Amino acid sequence: MNTNTMSYKTKQFLMFAGVTTFIFCAVVIVPFLYGLYLTFTSWDGVSASKPFVGMANYAATFQDAAFWQALLRTAIYSVISVILVNVVAFILAFLVTSGVKGQNFFRAGFFVPNLIGGIVLGYIWKFVFNRALVSIGQSLSVGFLSTSWLATTNGAMLCLIIVSVWQYAGYMMLIYVAGFMSVSNDVIEAAKIDGCTNMQTITRISVPLMVSSFVQCLFLTITRCFMVYDVNLSLTKGEPFNSSVMAAMHVYNTAFTYKNYGTGQAEALVLFVVCAVVGVLQVYIGKKAEVSA
Amino acid sequence: MKKKFISLALVAAMAVSLAACGGSSTSAAGSGSSSGGTSITIFNSKSEIQDQFVELAEEYSKAKGVNVEVYYSSDTVAAHLATKYAANDPYTLAMVDAKDVYSLGAEHALDVSGEDWVKNTDYAISVDGQVKGFPVCIEARGVMYNATAIEAITGEEFNPDDYKTLDAFTALLDKLVAGGMAAPVGIMKEDWSLAAHYFQEIYEEQDDPEAFIQSLYAGTADLANNQKFNDMMDTFDVLMKYNYAAGQPVAAEREVSEQKLANGEIAFMFGGNWDWSLIKDFDPSEKMGMMPVPQNTTDGSNEKLVGGGSKYFFIDSSSNTSEEQVQAAKDFLNWLVSDPEGNAFMTERCALVPAFSNVNADALDPLSFSVKSYADAGKLIDNYNYDPDDHYSIVGAAMQKYLAGQIDRAGFAAEVENYWSSTTPVEH
Repeated sequence: MNTNTMSYKTKQFLMFAGVTTFIFCAVVIVPFLYGLYLTFTSWDGVSASKPFVGMANYAATFQDAAFWQALLRTAIYSVISVILVNVVAFILAFLVTSGVKGQNFFRAGFFVPNLIGGIVLGYIWKFVFNRALVSIGQSLSVGFLSTSWLATTNGAMLCLIIVSVWQYAGYMMLIYVAGFMSVSNDVIEAAKIDGCTNMQTITRISVPLMVSSFVQCLFLTITRCFMVYDVNLSLTKGEPFNSSVMAAMHVYNTAFTYKNYGTGQAEALVLFVVCAVVGVLQVYIGKKAEVSA
Repeated sequence: MKKKFISLALVAAMAVSLAACGGSSTSAAGSGSSSGGTSITIFNSKSEIQDQFVELAEEYSKAKGVNVEVYYSSDTVAAHLATKYAANDPYTLAMVDAKDVYSLGAEHALDVSGEDWVKNTDYAISVDGQVKGFPVCIEARGVMYNATAIEAITGEEFNPDDYKTLDAFTALLDKLVAGGMAAPVGIMKEDWSLAAHYFQEIYEEQDDPEAFIQSLYAGTADLANNQKFNDMMDTFDVLMKYNYAAGQPVAAEREVSEQKLANGEIAFMFGGNWDWSLIKDFDPSEKMGMMPVPQNTTDGSNEKLVGGGSKYFFIDSSSNTSEEQVQAAKDFLNWLVSDPEGNAFMTERCALVPAFSNVNADALDPLSFSVKSYADAGKLIDNYNYDPDDHYSIVGAAMQKYLAGQIDRAGFAAEVENYWSSTTPVEH
């Protein structure tokens, strides 16, 4: 059978990727293009008419100081969260692969926060920050604990970061665990025989061999942090004084609450471009660092 | 080639999981007794009556053979309806705020000028000369008080009329503090309460609210030297001073504050009669009520609550709603107003102050009872319904800063002026 004809290739493509391609087009490509069209209209989100306004929404986006503040805030939040999530996840992964007693139990335990939805998680932590910590702080008269962190601008951001780390570290841990397991024991043993210390084994042997784990984890955490919405909504709702409004929440507010759908869509597009550039850049750099044993 | 497939599939999977995370919480409640007849959907935007409404839908469906489904969403009303309209799946009957009737009514609401209930109310909303909004209830804002707690300390009967001025009110607060109530006031830090409810009264109590708003848009209003602004902010300063959460006012949680008020740990909090839905769960004191915001003024505004019709039903006019559905929706509205069971649903089961003169309202809760007596005495200052959509959020944020002591009164006035002068006027 000739496998080099156009029809054979098309059939094969449809068989393996037809359904996913169709779904991908239906839920990503089409809405994306339609959204792109909406950025050129002054639609309010409800009205039947969608007046064409050209580039006005992009001009409004560039003049919307609150949006750029939110974007900057998101960038700061993302940088700190991504570093902390991956550091914590890596350490956890190392600990639960080092052969401690009951390590499977620990793996499951650290992974559980990831199974709780972001909204619920936000409400749980809101209670912890607003009530639990405050009453502990007051009864032990610890100054920095006896007032709610959520009521201060920096405190609210700190709370968001703490919750994100708690939520994602377990998930990323699993990927790092897989990375650790994939490093063959022969290589580790060889390194030990050659006189490597434990630290050297990790930094010189394990880490370079599991770069693909890092690439995956970084990509996942970066995109998730940039798009954060659910925890933001239930934990701080942008308060105090709209100082913890992240980019996604600002986009939602502009489009739906303030009824500037076109402008909101344009801002969403800017957010998309930022995410895409950061993500692609990171994957590209990460790939270059990959080695094989 | 293979790699591309995998990455394509991965991207699709991620996109799906992202989309799955972004869902909002809409809860539906069907009546379950679909008898093949007409089906109508009702959007309820008052969370506190959702349970009652679902029960009612079930009973109504059984009795009238119309399948009624009630939905509630925690989203902003306008945002939620926007998504429904975008999906071409509007509710037959939607309960919205007054401003939404004005913004959506022209395009989406059915003209109901010919209905029987129109003549029984002063609160229906007309758009372009056609009646479109059915007033669900009357709501008003003012200072809620716990008279039981006040009388326990002062030893004399509490009559809110004696504390119309800020001076008299402050003297009472001092007396309460001296009598052992450490901090007699609660303040809700929510942006909607601060900006859309309290600060809003500054607009509404002007001689001509519309002209004042226009001057704010034009940038010609001098807020910092405005008499009403200063009167209301003087009162707010006093509330802040006696606030039980004065150390960290923006961390105060609404549920906690309402509970303190219900139990008499605090005596006053600015709010509205809808707060009863929370207060009633906390075993409230017997004598509670609402009074106007005390102010050192002689313009009479310290004798009136601010409010009027609140939450409106409108019937969808699009082709998505059939004639049978329209008729069923009209019947439902008439049933609420003219049938004793419909009346009892509004006043007894949902504790709403009726906006219709023919509806009996003896069984109201204390806060609503206050509102009813002010309304009957003609002592309600009208709502101003044409705020821009981002007003509550941005002015609310500025007022939270003021509440937290991060800006002074001049700075606050400047932020509000900046907001208005940089905002496109709402057409109405």
